Amino acid sequence: MTTNGDAVKVVPVRHVGQWIGAGVVTLLVAMLIHTLFSKLPSGQYSCSLVSGVRTCHQISVWRFSWTIVGQYFTTSEILHGLVTTLELTVLAMIVGIMLGMTIAVMRLSPNRILSSTAWTYTWFFRGTPVLVQLLVWYNIAILYPVISIGVPFTHLTLVHFTTNTVFSAFVAALIALGLNEAAYMSEIARAGLIAVDEGQIEAASSLGMTRRQTLRYVVMPQAMRVIIPPTGNEVISMLKTTSLVSVVGVVDLLGAASNIYSANFEEMPLLIVASIWYLIVTTILSTGQFYLERHFAKGALRSPPPTPLQRLRRDLVGILSKFRSRRGTLEVVR
Amino acid sequence: MSDAMVEARGVHKSYGGVEVLKGVDLTVVRGEVTCLIGPSGSGKSTLLRCINHLEKHDRGELRVDGELVGYELRAGKLYERNDKQICAERSRIGMVFQRFNLFQHLTVLENITIGQTKVKGVSQEAARAKARELLDRVGLHDKEKHYPSQISGGQQQRVAIARALAMEPKLMLFDEPTSALDPELVGEVLDVMRDLARSGMTMIVVTHEMNFAKEVANTVYFLDGGVIEESGNPREVLTSPKTERLQSFLSKVL
Repeated sequence: MTTNGDAVKVVPVRHVGQWIGAGVVTLLVAMLIHTLFSKLPSGQYSCSLVSGVRTCHQISVWRFSWTIVGQYFTTSEILHGLVTTLELTVLAMIVGIMLGMTIAVMRLSPNRILSSTAWTYTWFFRGTPVLVQLLVWYNIAILYPVISIGVPFTHLTLVHFTTNTVFSAFVAALIALGLNEAAYMSEIARAGLIAVDEGQIEAASSLGMTRRQTLRYVVMPQAMRVIIPPTGNEVISMLKTTSLVSVVGVVDLLGAASNIYSANFEEMPLLIVASIWYLIVTTILSTGQFYLERHFAKGALRSPPPTPLQRLRRDLVGILSKFRSRRGTLEVVR
Repeated sequence: MSDAMVEARGVHKSYGGVEVLKGVDLTVVRGEVTCLIGPSGSGKSTLLRCINHLEKHDRGELRVDGELVGYELRAGKLYERNDKQICAERSRIGMVFQRFNLFQHLTVLENITIGQTKVKGVSQEAARAKARELLDRVGLHDKEKHYPSQISGGQQQRVAIARALAMEPKLMLFDEPTSALDPELVGEVLDVMRDLARSGMTMIVVTHEMNFAKEVANTVYFLDGGVIEESGNPREVLTSPKTERLQSFLSKVL
């Protein structure tokens, strides 16, 4: 901006309310961090004899028992539990995504039997708590003691086995979580499929693509942009939902932690161990989700969103230049 | 081989009780350009969409290249064609839409190759070569790596034309190809279409561009209320309209 040909500095607005808010929050965060690393008196004393004088002082320990957390953080029991948690998350999500996609496509089918079956599936599996479903699958042998594969409604059977030999606690948990997830995934996938513009489908048809080709080459890739973000949430949610499986005796991350603390009574440190592991995995998953979203945004955005590193660099440059210009501005005000 | 590429006899179509086409007769001669004009809601687009079976007509006879659209006549019975046959039919009819409808997730080049490779089974190499040749023809050889959202509306529509041409169609349908464009971009699309007409392509164009119709079309049809009100040589039909409806329509658009 210029007046009479001279450059005039611009004085930015002072956000006093924001500064006070930021100050209060900073203080509270500092207090919290302080308690994280503070110590408590343990009630135990250590005494020493120095030149005939006995001096005693109370031993203090970390409030959050970091020493014990450190001790158990990478024990094989916890790591085995972590692997089980990851296996369950991945496998249940694979079941959920595959089945969910199928149900979504069925739901959108012009065939009434297919679409109403899909609707009923979602209604049922979303309508009952996942913990109940888990217990039902674990006890499924009560309803179906034997499983046989053959021609329906005849006595011809090819394979025949007792349910309990196949349905281990892990398999029951996997099926329960996977089928439940499929109900949610089908709604997410359906939203994605609907979000694709009708014109895209018409254009594909006008090129002579079959319905299947249109779905695969035109609709799905564009639906992914809508499907990926909520699916990322589902993966993270699944990671934590797997902690329910300890009720049917699967030793996952939480199960391993609780096995240990039921023996040594160190509940808090072991719950912290489990929490930190959950946080680590969640962080890794979120990062993966970001790059996946960026990949599928191709063509939808004129320029892809910056990566966290790019954003950090831009923020730093922004703060530095703001700082410089503000100094310059102050001189003018003075 | 008859010289009619498209023949419609008494074609009817309704949407949920509303009759959009009330018995349309039309003949499109091979190698000629036919323009469909008329007020919005007159059924122009619907007729176009019936021709490549994006919509099913309810009654009447509709033939493309001598073949019934969507049906097969065998031993006195009409057999509905299956998906595969309809797709094969459609792949030989190019269509250009008002809103371009380029595949948003594919680059300009991929938009033009996908139909060739997935529908016609052309190799990736040959498809790319053909796509580049067509991009050159519509004047966009430098845009092949762009995504549709990165180019202008006029450029998108030219890519859409190239995408349709890549299938080597025997007939091209244009559904108001310039209606969604900013005025300064209309010219570049019409130029490509003019060029295409000159090359001998059979074209049916739904349009509001009366000058284009006058200059390029061999025949013009005026639709109103689901029937053909007037048709003939564009210079005669558009300069000295016989019916009152066409007179009032032309006074509004010109």
